[in-house]
Amino acid sequence: MKVKLHIWRQNGPNDKGKMVDYNLDNVSSDMSFLEMLDILNEDLILKGEEPVVFEHDCREGICGSCGLVINGKPHGPESGTTTCQLHMRKFKDGDDIFVEPFRSKAFSIVKDLMVDRSAYDRIQQSGGFISANVGSAPDANAIPIAKNIADLAMDAAACIGCGACAAACPNGSAMLFVAAKSSQLNLLPQGQPEKNKRVRAMINQMEKEGFGGCSNYYECEAACPKNISVRFIAKMNRDYFVAVVKEGTKV
Amino acid sequence: MFKYLNHVVISKFVMAITGIILILFITGHALGNLQIFLGKEALNKYAAFLQGLGEFLWIERIGLLVAALLHIITSIYLKLYNYNARPDKYVVKRYIKAKLNSRTMIWTGLMIAAFVIYHLLHFTVGSIQPENYKYKEIYTQNAYSVEYNANATSLSSQDNDNDANIGVNKILYERHDVYKMVVLGFKNPYISIFYIVAVILLGFHISHAVQSFFQTLGWNSPKYFTWIEKLSVAYGYFIAIAFLIVPLSILLGIIGSNV
Repeated sequence: MKVKLHIWRQNGPNDKGKMVDYNLDNVSSDMSFLEMLDILNEDLILKGEEPVVFEHDCREGICGSCGLVINGKPHGPESGTTTCQLHMRKFKDGDDIFVEPFRSKAFSIVKDLMVDRSAYDRIQQSGGFISANVGSAPDANAIPIAKNIADLAMDAAACIGCGACAAACPNGSAMLFVAAKSSQLNLLPQGQPEKNKRVRAMINQMEKEGFGGCSNYYECEAACPKNISVRFIAKMNRDYFVAVVKEGTKV
Repeated sequence: MFKYLNHVVISKFVMAITGIILILFITGHALGNLQIFLGKEALNKYAAFLQGLGEFLWIERIGLLVAALLHIITSIYLKLYNYNARPDKYVVKRYIKAKLNSRTMIWTGLMIAAFVIYHLLHFTVGSIQPENYKYKEIYTQNAYSVEYNANATSLSSQDNDNDANIGVNKILYERHDVYKMVVLGFKNPYISIFYIVAVILLGFHISHAVQSFFQTLGWNSPKYFTWIEKLSVAYGYFIAIAFLIVPLSILLGIIGSNV
């Protein structure tokens, strides 16, 4: 199949950047989207041009590296799928495909389609953990956890931190990420002692990084490759409300 | 006082709480308006009751004003803050789930605010159509109301020259003729259409707002949320219809044709 690619090219964080058109013939419908970009880059290298920079790692849909905005949707047209798990059979022969980087003030563009998502790491480091003494592993069933609670915490823990929520949000808000990363611990008994401190610290860091606020568009939920529900944002709001009433806003 | 604006999630709480105060007022207002279908007596009695609340009326007015101002200031601040968080726009953007009502909240909100100012000048202050605002209903001893300028004597302009009339037309009480003011106001099609457009925008705004209130304060669970989303849309329709049915009925001559 043939596709016409329109790809965002930008030399560095301070470059202006623009869309550049590439025609690609002989694309197999069995290729993944990233393999198709690999083919494009092979062509560009042979021609002596600069290849398109894009991030990728596991190509199995679990590492969260491969975020691209394809035809106006983060991770492309397929719901609940990362870019690497999107296949060219989802496109038609002769399609125009627009590829852009994730956009949010807190994600600066490193080059072309690659963005710096370390803001998410800093949010995680601010409170997305539990403090536990080292030693041998505790007994597996020492703390009983109801199945439904464990399942819910697991749903939140499915977050791979790819950044699609902030990229999809018209406000560039990271609320779904922060909600998933705080709820996975706040739901469980092990997370209780630091619950208030965690949610305050993580939201505080989110604001510091320059992410926007939530306007309840629910676009993040629709774009999330792990189908994480916006109900976790509601839960985080509730946790934050209680935490601020009890402990104030100062971190 | 405005320190909370530095915290984006607390700003959202302010939006939700002031929003629900305004929604509750709007609900009461819509139900109060519908009394026009019960006739002149019911509506004017209700209006006189509200006017007679005295300081409670002013507590309510000040409370609503504070809620409205906080709602507007916070929303504008949040909009600018959020706009700044995504300065670079996509070349191609397709929305999957964000509906038009959620994406236009700031615009419908500002248009509603502009309308509310006009609406207050029209029916509360009375400066848009002062000729309709001045009507009073006067109740005399022989128990029928007469026009202000007829031979009855106003309470304020009572004098001894009219002693002869007092036996027949002694004024028991007078009250603002809201019914006549509203009917004459809405007989003007421009005013009615402007009003109808504004309340449709209000319904559209509310269709996103109600579920947003529950989401922001975290009062939802997957079990109830599909319900809450439906309630939100239904509430938007209810508010819009409850308000626009009044000018529509007046335009069509269903009510008020005798005024």
